Amino acid sequence: MDSDSPNHPPPADDPTVSGSGAIAVVDGEVPNPSSIEANSVNGIGEKLESIQVNDTDSREVEDDGERTVIEESHVNGRSSDAAGSRVEENGVGEGKRGGSGGVRRVNSEVEVEAVGSPSSSGYAGERGSSGGGGLSTDEIEEEEEEGMGMGIGRTRRGGGFGNGVAALAEDLGEGWVPGKRDVNEDDASISWRKRKKHFFILSHSGKPIYSRYGDVHKLAGFSATLQAIISFVENGGDRVKLVRAGKHQVVFLVKGPIYLVCISCTEEPYESLRGQLELIYGQMILILTKSVNRCFEKNSKFDMTPLLGGTDTVFSSLIHSFSWNPATFLHAYTCLPLAYPTRQAAGAVLQEVADSGVLFAILMCKHKVVSLVGAQKASLHPDDMLLLSNFVMSSESFRTSESFSPICLPRYNPMAFLYAYVHYLDGETYLMLLTTSSDAFYHLKECRIRIESVLLKSNVLSEVHRSMFDGGMHVEDLPLDPSPRSGSLSPHLGQHSPETFRDAYAGIGGHSGLWHFIYRSIYLDQYASSEFSSPINTSQQQKRLYRAYQKIYASMHDRGSGTHKTQFRRDEHYVLLCWVTQDFELYAAFDPLADKALAIKTCNRVCQWVKDVENEMFLLGASPFSW
Amino acid sequence: MGLSTAVSGGGAGSSEAVRICVFDLRRGQQEGQELDKILYFYPPELAFSYQLSVIGLSEGLITFTRIFSPNAACEVIEAERHSHIFYQAEPDIWMVMVVEKNKELEAIWRIEALRSVLKEAHSLFMMFHGPIRPMLDKEPSGELLRTNLSTFFTDYLSDFSAGKKLQVPSFRDTLQEKGSVQMLTVGREAAIEVQSLVRVLESSAGNAQCHSLVLFHDLLVSTSLSPEDAVNLYTYAVLRMTPRALSSGTSSWSYLRKGSTAVQTTTSVSASEQPYASRDTSQTEDSKYLLPRPLKQSKWSKGKDGFLVTNAAAADVRNSISHPPTVWLQQSEERMYLCAYQHKYLTIIVLIPVASSNSAEQGISMAKQQILENASLKISKVEERLSKGWGGENAYHVTGYRYLLLDGDRSVSRASPPIKVTTLAKESLVAMCKVREEVDLEKSRAKWDDKGHEKDLEVCVRAKNNAWVIARVTRGKELYMVLEKGGETLLYASDAMEKFSNR
Repeated sequence: MDSDSPNHPPPADDPTVSGSGAIAVVDGEVPNPSSIEANSVNGIGEKLESIQVNDTDSREVEDDGERTVIEESHVNGRSSDAAGSRVEENGVGEGKRGGSGGVRRVNSEVEVEAVGSPSSSGYAGERGSSGGGGLSTDEIEEEEEEGMGMGIGRTRRGGGFGNGVAALAEDLGEGWVPGKRDVNEDDASISWRKRKKHFFILSHSGKPIYSRYGDVHKLAGFSATLQAIISFVENGGDRVKLVRAGKHQVVFLVKGPIYLVCISCTEEPYESLRGQLELIYGQMILILTKSVNRCFEKNSKFDMTPLLGGTDTVFSSLIHSFSWNPATFLHAYTCLPLAYPTRQAAGAVLQEVADSGVLFAILMCKHKVVSLVGAQKASLHPDDMLLLSNFVMSSESFRTSESFSPICLPRYNPMAFLYAYVHYLDGETYLMLLTTSSDAFYHLKECRIRIESVLLKSNVLSEVHRSMFDGGMHVEDLPLDPSPRSGSLSPHLGQHSPETFRDAYAGIGGHSGLWHFIYRSIYLDQYASSEFSSPINTSQQQKRLYRAYQKIYASMHDRGSGTHKTQFRRDEHYVLLCWVTQDFELYAAFDPLADKALAIKTCNRVCQWVKDVENEMFLLGASPFSW
Repeated sequence: MGLSTAVSGGGAGSSEAVRICVFDLRRGQQEGQELDKILYFYPPELAFSYQLSVIGLSEGLITFTRIFSPNAACEVIEAERHSHIFYQAEPDIWMVMVVEKNKELEAIWRIEALRSVLKEAHSLFMMFHGPIRPMLDKEPSGELLRTNLSTFFTDYLSDFSAGKKLQVPSFRDTLQEKGSVQMLTVGREAAIEVQSLVRVLESSAGNAQCHSLVLFHDLLVSTSLSPEDAVNLYTYAVLRMTPRALSSGTSSWSYLRKGSTAVQTTTSVSASEQPYASRDTSQTEDSKYLLPRPLKQSKWSKGKDGFLVTNAAAADVRNSISHPPTVWLQQSEERMYLCAYQHKYLTIIVLIPVASSNSAEQGISMAKQQILENASLKISKVEERLSKGWGGENAYHVTGYRYLLLDGDRSVSRASPPIKVTTLAKESLVAMCKVREEVDLEKSRAKWDDKGHEKDLEVCVRAKNNAWVIARVTRGKELYMVLEKGGETLLYASDAMEKFSNR
């Protein structure tokens, strides 16, 4: 990158711009924390300058570096071990990963070579790709004959990167792609600096691990700067959390040897951004487990990028969900609206398999839960569900065939892998069966077959489709008469067909200017939200409303003063009403000109309505979750 | 000694929970000359290595944040144990306050409230000494400036001392606003009388255009100054010149510390005696205009003729006797003699252009004479009328409400009497503090959005303790109120707010 780019921030007459501190960083050779102390006051300054003098030479070095690391890891035989055996060498995942192969170690060079694979086995297959070719179902079955347990692992050993990489290429091509990343960008580019929201993961020695924008390897200098800031404050016996400058916020999160940083001008509250960094860290743990820390204990300059190779879409899809999925800040999940008997039917068959040694059985449609069952005493945190479903949905390869993949649920046990059997029943509905046993593939496969046939027979899947098509609660349908209702949401679900108010309120939202609401049940850890309707039509408007909710959520749940009870907030965009009780939290958005008294009345109606239809909106009476 | 040891050692060595530094980004850029950046550091006894580490971090983050936010560099660093508040006082002249988040000290605050301390300090410094940058240009060594800053801060910070430590504005001060004046509401007739008095006052130096500032108790009655200058002079008057300030011998902007502030910080004063003592050697042409230690406690006392005189206390002797105090006005960039007269609870400040008379003595005594001859009758009449209409300390108390009303455009505020605010529960005040912080953020974003329209916002929160905490921003005016007995419903609370707004 051109170091003379005119947008470099420090004054041109700054004599230290050419300081020697810069060189170290450009090399990609990141100084360790202690060297920064020695640099005296100008330590950080020099790091900062290095951002400006970041030049093209560094790329070469970086590339070489990466190649070396990959070769090393290959030699380590990270995943070439037989299935079930522990892979101690790399310290990742306490070896449990062996079952479905090691960590995906694909770098961009390889990706390019890959041409569409005939069949891909899902995400896990790719990650364990050093071994087998694509783990198509057929292949797994072949292996079965060879020998239980070891089979899957062996598959991996056979081949090279090829197929897994191909699957990855598919991921990149067909999965959720934000279309924003430009690998030619780095910290010297104006476009990069103008990105509204950056996310970085780096190691405590300053090595970049992930960046939402730009080529992560070109950001070595920048990454070292972030590290310098963190360790400078740490050396003073403190820990930096937030830096604010104009509309920008820089949020830091330190998780052992992993540093996470968000730089944002999106006006989201600090608490939200910090929560997002926590989720990104959780997503990383889901892929690698926390035992990745051991790699840093052994070698503080350990390069983690190969371990996460190819998981770009997982992170970018998670980051995307930070601007549309309320689960990311509510810490609750949402269910697909379904008639009570339908969900019961699904739950019953899941319960059957849970009794046969499955830890969790989860049936989901996109990000909504159809049904969910856990083994006794096992509890699943909503955040883990979010991360797991994001992981599955963002990896295109899961869609093409059944997969068996090691995953870690950070809130359940951050140190150990579980194994997830994932199978798409149709385009959007997928079943996840989680177990602790690495050789349960065939058992889970049988479970799936049984579940699938029951779901088909009992019409659950067709009900799911209908629900997806019809949507859930529409603000236009809010019942106006106060008489108790027998509880039906929409004609398609219910026993009777209430009059609809949709026509009367077309285009202006619901009664009293109600535009949207979210209802969170505290005991269930679930939320239900209305469908977006006019005038919240465009994704831009939805995002703005989402951010407004996020803000009022943070404001209500202030850690300093305790949770507030009620909040009314009027600005030029909305009237927002929030009501928190012991049982629920209600967030409702109205027209900014809405009448206060009417808005309050409407909120009461909404609560009554949700209670009337809770059988359909929520998963009730599931096995006791004790989170 | 490595920096890390210096940092922790320096930090632990002082029990002070507040650090303040002033530094110049244009200085000390060569290696080995970093100390030259520091213009002022509190507490001054901290090791240089520690001082440099604070400034190094600040400088680093100013540079870093400019990568993304070139127009607005670092404003605040929040760390687990400290908040660092930045204020760019003048181009490349930065002031940074570092406050420790100590739970015992109820360290919950509004960043903007802390920044307003830095702003106020800089404004007051400028009022007496002029802007910093020109001083540095004139005297590149910066020695005089450092001396001035040191004595200035020593005196300024004495108002914040609680025991041996500084106490910065906390959530308890959330219903007041630094950098604003509190006005006295006067009736029509009184206003006419005040107006006529002001005309006489402002012609008391012949042809030269004078300015005046009239206070009754600690409230502003009238001024001809620009809002900025008015705020500064008003702040100074309330700190050191009004009858209350004179009688207490000390002043405090915080009701919390009333009564307890008589405890002078001996440590901080003595720490700066030394640089002050060395002043004789650094006398310059300019210093004859300076009011030495204008913020020294008990600076002023009332003379027999009703005029306030600066105390000829020890160190001040040389300058204050021969040179009447002067102030520098931001708007006109003009230096003015400061002449103050007090009658009962009426304090009158007349500013006379320095340029208008050849000799200070002469100009001032002429003006004094004019005031005594032409204005004394009017003064006592005005005092009488204002006293009659005066509702006492709690004049602006509104039963059931604890409020702060702010007119940002005119830098005017009105608030519940501090003594009434102290009756609020801690939870209510903390909730109010957080709501104000949110409004501060919204306001600052609106500023950067630069859409030209002001942010209108209404927030009603029912806090955990059932208090209603309300903020309303309309057309640049801000209303904050806490209703602890506000009833159950939101409608009740908003009715109460409407009623208040209509008053």
